[in-house]
Amino acid sequence: MSGREGEKAGDRDGYKKGEREMRLVNNFFGEFGGRYVAEILNPPLEELKREFLKAMEDDEFKSEFESVSAEYTGRPTPLLFAENTTRMLGGGRIFIKLEGLANTGAHKINNVLGQLLLAKRMGKRRIIAETGAGQHGLATAALSAKFGFKCRVYMGKVDIERQRPNVFWMELYGAEVVPVEGVSGTLKDAVNEALRDWASSFEDTHYLLGSALGPSPYPDMVREFQSVIGKETKKQMEERGEKIEALVACVGGGSNSIGFFYPWLSYPWPSSKTPRLIGVEAGGSGDNIGEHAARMSGSGRPGIVHGYKSLFLLDDDGQVTPTHSVSAGLDYPGIGPQLAQLGKDGRIEFTKASDEEALTAVKTFAKNEGIVFALESAHAGAAALKLAPQLPKDRAIVINMSGRGDKDLFILAERMDRDNWHKFLRSIV
Amino acid sequence: MNKIMAHMVAFYPDREKSLEVARALIDGGCSYLEVQFPFTDPSADGVYIQRACKTALDAGFKVSKGFQLISKINEYANRVSNSRSSNSRRSESHSSNSRSSNRAPHEPGKLLPSHPPVFIMTYANLIFFRGIERFLEECKDAGVSGVIVPDLPPDSDEGLYSLGRKKGIKVIPVIMPNITDDRFDLVINNTEEYLYAAIRTGITGKFTRIDSSVLDFLERVNRAGAKVLAGFGISKKSQVEAVAPLVHSVVVGSAFIRVMEDAMEKIGKQTCLYQAVLEKIRELV
Ligand SMILES: Cc1ncc(COP(=O)(O)O)c(C=O)c1O
Repeated sequence: MSGREGEKAGDRDGYKKGEREMRLVNNFFGEFGGRYVAEILNPPLEELKREFLKAMEDDEFKSEFESVSAEYTGRPTPLLFAENTTRMLGGGRIFIKLEGLANTGAHKINNVLGQLLLAKRMGKRRIIAETGAGQHGLATAALSAKFGFKCRVYMGKVDIERQRPNVFWMELYGAEVVPVEGVSGTLKDAVNEALRDWASSFEDTHYLLGSALGPSPYPDMVREFQSVIGKETKKQMEERGEKIEALVACVGGGSNSIGFFYPWLSYPWPSSKTPRLIGVEAGGSGDNIGEHAARMSGSGRPGIVHGYKSLFLLDDDGQVTPTHSVSAGLDYPGIGPQLAQLGKDGRIEFTKASDEEALTAVKTFAKNEGIVFALESAHAGAAALKLAPQLPKDRAIVINMSGRGDKDLFILAERMDRDNWHKFLRSIV
Repeated sequence: MNKIMAHMVAFYPDREKSLEVARALIDGGCSYLEVQFPFTDPSADGVYIQRACKTALDAGFKVSKGFQLISKINEYANRVSNSRSSNSRRSESHSSNSRSSNRAPHEPGKLLPSHPPVFIMTYANLIFFRGIERFLEECKDAGVSGVIVPDLPPDSDEGLYSLGRKKGIKVIPVIMPNITDDRFDLVINNTEEYLYAAIRTGITGKFTRIDSSVLDFLERVNRAGAKVLAGFGISKKSQVEAVAPLVHSVVVGSAFIRVMEDAMEKIGKQTCLYQAVLEKIRELV
């Protein structure tokens, strides 16, 4: 975790295509990234960057991160050989990184832990966060309870309606969940509201952003905290002597994917020895505006939103367009800047999976492996189901199951077993 | 008399009515007009301006239509200032009257003396997406004097400051009390004529108490030697009077939207906003 150089002031070339090692803080990733914020947020972001760079050099920080990860989160998370699905498809060997078995149900907890430890070092007392699916909010609420922070989570009104169970859990942990109306009542509006809060509360409050996006240093910091997923996966695959052909992850803002791909980003490329990295976006219900959230594999355009430059779903006037996905966690119009650049360079291949394909993947892995994917992660599962048959039998494909599907009970039951589910709901109210 | 920079949202509550609002602000004697181009994600704005932006987008705001609106506003302002100056000179003939009113809107350098300069406030993406150079050219054509883009601060500005100088459009940086000395110096170095001072941290809308920390901040800002436009949370005459002596002009925004919301709630959507806005600006000027 230590020994890498920090960012030089105003250095736009901190990250170059093909450069072997990323810096801890790159600020720009090729043409994307940056810190496009009102002057007010510059001091707290500088404070955060300083503390992050200091912490990454500090063995105490590292050991606390590791001990809480082991004791509370349950790391390392298992790596499962999906034997039955592999046999069914008859192609490459399918492995699933069961990141969703982390406490609180998703990879989000890794980033939350890292940032909360930073908040503690900075002497902050209050934590604010945005959440879409509720998984990031849940992790933030849970660890805030453990570490004694006051916690407020902003959540779009529409998201609250479709992820009610997570609202209940967050409140159980003692967090205050604040509904956000904004223009669309979804994740992007929750980000705006958190930024507004932070603009007057930064003295005692840390904004715990939940994905690898936003103004610098968030994209760098979130990647580093999530890199534990990829580092474990690499070790687990090496221990089994597997040859990895491809790694597949779903991409909302990009935190689970960049953390999962992390160890391979510094490998020489292109090279036949380096695995393919595949990011899967939400294809939603169609290709029209408002029916999907495919920025890289769809119609993302360069823009500056939420403090960073990247590809966004925008209309012809530069306004941010509505998005849709059956999975609230992928329902966001932007993508982390480093992923956007890696996609542009061709290092990461982007594809998409539709709502229906994701639902089918949930069923397939439930029946074959006894594992319920979160709807977000099921997008990666769907892409892997398509790819595996094309791979040779001695090659492996690894899916990151970023979350488990318990939180999706209401959506899955509604889609898969409507009548019985409605009968049940009616019987209890 | 207090110099007021009056803020309004283009197309709030719709195109026609926002023109009416501009007329009221001009007739009421504002010294500057700050027209916000609504964006879907106004992350530095409080509830009033957020709601106004949503309404304006629903009313069909487009950037090109925003520029057309400003051309109309400038035409009106020139007519008014022209008739004001002709009233004061009394003997001014009719023909020269109409000549100057036709001329002014498309010659921004030649706005009449009492014509309040018009600035556009908006967020980075609307400008960046359109192309900064194109946006500034359109500003010029519409008679816009300057732009305020809080999320394109100096050194993360995508060339806005240098292009602004090239095109003769003032780019007005926004600073806040928590700014570090380094950033302050950087901003000052990029300041051409105007500096926008948000007098407290946070977002627009919430009431600001004018205490000694605000006055200290304004003193610090004044050392820059720029024309300081100061605002954030100013809605009352007493606030205006406390700040006005220390600055070039006092910015008032959400207060006008609140007045309009109240009027529309009481009387209904068809209400004449002109009167409500006029009363408010007259109270503050
Ligand atoms: C289980 C799960 N996976 C993936 C995501 C998408 O986020 P990211 O792309 O940052 O990993 C979310 C977001 O809420 C999530 O809950």
